[in-house]
Amino acid sequence: MHIENDLNLKRQADKLGVSIWRTPSFLFIIIGIINAVAMAVTYYISKQYDRPEFLVVAESVVVACIFSIGKYIIGQFEEIDTLSKMKTEFVSVASHQLRTPLSAIRWETELMLSKLDRGLNKKQRQSINTINLLATRMTRLVNDLLDVTRIDQGRLILKREKVDIAGIVTEISGEFLPLIKEKKMKVVFQSARKCKTDRCKPLSVLSDQEKLKLVIENLFSNAIKYTGAYGRIEIDLSKKRGFVVFSIRDNGVGIPKEQQVQVFSKFFRSDNIVKYQTEGTGLGLYIAKNIIEQSGGRMWFHSREHTGSIFCFSLPAA
Amino acid sequence: MKKKKILIVEDENSLHNALKEFLLTENFDVISAGDGEMAVKLAKSEKPDLISLDIILPKKDGFEVLTELREDERTNKIPIILLTNLERTEDIGRAFDLGVSTYLVKSNYNLKEIADKIKETLKLK
Repeated sequence: MHIENDLNLKRQADKLGVSIWRTPSFLFIIIGIINAVAMAVTYYISKQYDRPEFLVVAESVVVACIFSIGKYIIGQFEEIDTLSKMKTEFVSVASHQLRTPLSAIRWETELMLSKLDRGLNKKQRQSINTINLLATRMTRLVNDLLDVTRIDQGRLILKREKVDIAGIVTEISGEFLPLIKEKKMKVVFQSARKCKTDRCKPLSVLSDQEKLKLVIENLFSNAIKYTGAYGRIEIDLSKKRGFVVFSIRDNGVGIPKEQQVQVFSKFFRSDNIVKYQTEGTGLGLYIAKNIIEQSGGRMWFHSREHTGSIFCFSLPAA
Repeated sequence: MKKKKILIVEDENSLHNALKEFLLTENFDVISAGDGEMAVKLAKSEKPDLISLDIILPKKDGFEVLTELREDERTNKIPIILLTNLERTEDIGRAFDLGVSTYLVKSNYNLKEIADKIKETLKLK
């Protein structure tokens, strides 16, 4: 399968955006052919003439050929690498530029709704509110893109502060409450229950407060998104060997087995039944995993289609 | 009680106006500067109770404005809120070193939250 793909020059050329005769595979084939021909010729020459000079010259020509083709291939890779860096840079600059007009839209609409709404009827208010919500959503997407470019360029800088993780979970549950009620879901937060018997010691971790909030928000919203009405979400916090382990379990649609390897890759979105009903860029888990790993933790999951998923991460306890 | 005077330093017109309108209805006095030079001048002549400052500004950037205001006795006690889209840790660190009281990233806050922060800083809450 792999070899077949390597030999499919057309596809490789399309993927890399170069013409067929410039694809690495094609150039490797050429090197092979040159090698074979050169060997045959060298053999022939050395049999015909009994002079070592010919052999040396022939060998040098062959080496020069292989060397220049090899250099050409490496050059191509460098070019592709530069292009990819330029793309990341472009996304970063463009996203940054988008933030100002987006902020302006959010602020102007907010101003209109909260301070200048005299004479507006219900429908007008609704429209303005929708614009505000959409601009807010777009801002979130742009922020996600910025985080991804920062991760790709190794510029995502995280603070290391003591963070009350249970507090964050409670805060986020509150934010999602309207959505949870709407879907008539049940959310159980284990740490809160244990708290009563355990003399209520807050579980703290070493991480970046804002970014950790982003991670938990993401896992929480995934659990809600991919679980139907009347579903159940269980969140658990526990301490294990110097680490605090967070887990969130749902009884939702789950992730098809063959797609599970890609869950944390960029732009991945599960091909399950709700793909087209659900908003999202497929950047959330990629960002989340990077944040957790950069904070010195690990992130993993188990999932079964039609049964549910459990996503977990660990962070150094503070 | 006397109205508190806020100096808004922001070069992007739409952002500037929205924030200004909002603060006016929240019962603040608002003065405006569209660039760094104007900001320093107004801060010295008008003595606002609080300054909302952007970092990327024409003529003088926010850090220069901060440094100048901190060096002047008449202005070095004025609380300053940075309201910007830069969120690199080194910028934030530099701002706090220069005595900024709050650092807000524009795209993460709405007007009400900003007004709340201003009131909090002025201890009006």
